[in-house]
Amino acid sequence: MENGFGSIAWVLYLPIIGFLIQAFFGKKVVDSMGIAAGRRVMGTLAVLPIALGFVIGLMLVLKLSAMEPAARSVVVPLFNWIDVMGLRLPFELIVDPLSMTMVLIITGIGALIHLYATGYMAEEPDYPRFFTYLNLFIASMLILVLGNNLALLFIGWEGVGVCSYLLIGFWYKDLANSKAANKAFIVNRIGDWGLTLGLFLIVALLTTSPSLVKADRYLSYDQMLPALQIALAHNHGLATAIALLLFVGACGKSAQFPLYLWLPDAMAGPTPVSALIHAATMVTSGVVLLNRMHIVFEMSPTASAIVAVIGAFTALFAALVAFGQTDIKKVLAYSTVSQLGFMFVACGAGGYWAGMFHVTTHAFFKALLFLGSGAVIHAMAHNQDMRNYGNLSKYLKITCWSMVIGWLAISGVYMFSGFYSKEAIIGTALANTHANIEGYQLGQYSGWTALFVAFLTAMYMTRMMVLTFFSGEERWRLIPAKAHADDHGHGTDIAHGNHLEAVHEHGHDHGPDVHGFFYTDEELHAMEHGDHDDHAHHELDETHQPHEVPPSMWFPLVCLAALSLFGGYFMSHNEVFRDWLYPEGKLPILGVVSAEAEHIPLVLYSSIAAFGGLIIGGLWYMRGLPKAEGWDESKWNPFRKLAGRQFGFDAAMVTTTVDGGAELGRGLWQGFDVKIVDGIVNGSAGLASYLGKGISWFQTGYIRMYALMMLFGGAGILGWFLYAMKHGGVR
Amino acid sequence: MLGVPLVAYLSLGLFMFSVGVVGVVVRRNPIVIFMCIELMLNSVNLTFLTFARFHSSVNPQTGLAAPSMMAGQMMVIFVMAVAAAEVAVGLGIIMAIFRLRHTVDIDEMNLLKG
Repeated sequence: MENGFGSIAWVLYLPIIGFLIQAFFGKKVVDSMGIAAGRRVMGTLAVLPIALGFVIGLMLVLKLSAMEPAARSVVVPLFNWIDVMGLRLPFELIVDPLSMTMVLIITGIGALIHLYATGYMAEEPDYPRFFTYLNLFIASMLILVLGNNLALLFIGWEGVGVCSYLLIGFWYKDLANSKAANKAFIVNRIGDWGLTLGLFLIVALLTTSPSLVKADRYLSYDQMLPALQIALAHNHGLATAIALLLFVGACGKSAQFPLYLWLPDAMAGPTPVSALIHAATMVTSGVVLLNRMHIVFEMSPTASAIVAVIGAFTALFAALVAFGQTDIKKVLAYSTVSQLGFMFVACGAGGYWAGMFHVTTHAFFKALLFLGSGAVIHAMAHNQDMRNYGNLSKYLKITCWSMVIGWLAISGVYMFSGFYSKEAIIGTALANTHANIEGYQLGQYSGWTALFVAFLTAMYMTRMMVLTFFSGEERWRLIPAKAHADDHGHGTDIAHGNHLEAVHEHGHDHGPDVHGFFYTDEELHAMEHGDHDDHAHHELDETHQPHEVPPSMWFPLVCLAALSLFGGYFMSHNEVFRDWLYPEGKLPILGVVSAEAEHIPLVLYSSIAAFGGLIIGGLWYMRGLPKAEGWDESKWNPFRKLAGRQFGFDAAMVTTTVDGGAELGRGLWQGFDVKIVDGIVNGSAGLASYLGKGISWFQTGYIRMYALMMLFGGAGILGWFLYAMKHGGVR
Repeated sequence: MLGVPLVAYLSLGLFMFSVGVVGVVVRRNPIVIFMCIELMLNSVNLTFLTFARFHSSVNPQTGLAAPSMMAGQMMVIFVMAVAAAEVAVGLGIIMAIFRLRHTVDIDEMNLLKG
């Protein structure tokens, strides 16, 4: 195909083929080849398409980077998709720095996580189903980033939403997981409402704007974005409206306040899913959307300021909530929400490349941390409570040291990848005046907030790492009897403020073996006699001995650790990443967005924040689990209790929207439906019946009455005829 | 025959019809009601014949009325045929009702009561 970029189609086709193989042959292969061999084959077939896609993507990136910066945008048409009455939407892919960056993240990190999942899910009876969803997710995500118009983006957007739903509810036999999946899906619908309205507004604008000559493929990015720039040039109110509606969509997918609610609950899914979908790729699609539509945001300082403020507030809020979490995956979930807030601060301030930079480095270290936490969970009999960990560095050496790199990276320690991306974000926010509302420099306030959140990030991540890996005592040997009971769902739910979490507290990360009762006898039998080998987990008790995870699981950890360690440096070296994504002239309105705040020694400040957080956190937790955060949650201090409950926000949302909605529905049912609608129907029937009763005495049932009536009637007619004849009325 | 005046025939017809009407309205035995209906029909027949007779001119040679003037008599034939059919159907209905309810009291049959 043209320009030799046609092979991009294979990046998309391969996961689709993988998905079809898994869906249609997975179970048959596993059944016919025996469980162990069959799973090995299907696992390989799941990893392979993604890894091949990564190789193709890498070659295309090399080819693309050899081109002139201005020419780095190639459209690869695949087929004609919609062509009716002047609306032409070809199915075409765009190859440009933004899409290819995401392709590398999706396929690269995706392949590593697939590989990890082959180990993590090894004992899962529904092995092919898991990889069916996972491959479908990769395909949807690729459509999202590669599609050359917003309709294709929307397909991908919904596709990843569905896969997220399916994977959160992967262990659907547990009601709590299904509820979490529903919550994710429904909260995302609110975001989709904004996104679709934004899309409609754009289409309406492009089709009705009189100053525009409607191009043939007027919805494709290469024609739509310049057209939008012309159409919105004198209409900043409309630009703000479109930008805010798109941002609502981004809020839903990227878990920004107040639509973040679903992400912590999404941790009910298997850990590889949390790493791939709910940390590395899907949740960044909001940032991708903002980057794709950056022209609209450039034109609206107001919307940009709102984006930055929401981002900063989300970052702060989620970081505070993370302090009250005891579940290791919940800490990471709130940390993800918080880091996504950083990305939006950057996008709001105009540093779109900085947002993408953080997407990339965050994909490295957050995937690493999630996969590491999965390894810990795997080693700890699927118990996720950090209070039951401690001193695991002795047992899980590879996991521990790769996670240490992830920890230092997310904390923003100098030379680690997180340092560079956070530096770019905060620098951009502090140096620019784009995000303002009537002169109030909200972007810069957001930057300062982000700097403070960086300090908090270092602190709560230190809390998580120290409680898990260091801090002397091996606390699973010390669990009080009551806490044991708590682990199985009868405990207080202070730390788990909403009813949903309270229900699935006993769920944790359901490994197949802990919750054997979810499986049929047949499956249990297969597990006992099949590959239920050395991972013979038992309940977490005094005798538990953690083991290092198999190579298929620690290999991705090491790869990601290397990326977290060096990736940031290489990408920020000579500003290669910025020049790759946003070469000069790519931002038509803002021009050059500086990432260096003059007069502010940002490296010093952020180093103080990072090391301050590390040292304070380290000192606080090094001696073990403090009493104020112990197993007995009633003894927590007020801040932890509040943070554990998300400061009541989730409960408030549930009360106002879920319960309130039910109450409203009930009210409408009883007030409007029963009283008014039914009232009208029953009332008209009742009126007819009342009238009928009123004259029914007339119907005596006596034949003679009818006969008399006939007589009178006949006489009356005759009389009338006679009268009329006499007076000449009838001739 | 022509000595009897027109008003006498009509008075008789009116009397018969009135008796029929009163019988239909006040009697409870359907057979009697039927008879009263027959009475009414026959009073009408009588009226038809009377008018036919008094309004037609008679051919002096044959002493017969012209065929075009026979409409009244024809009407009577029709009424009698219809009455016969009606009686056949009506008696059948009465039989059926009797088999069903073991009574033919007309006041018991008030299913149409509102």
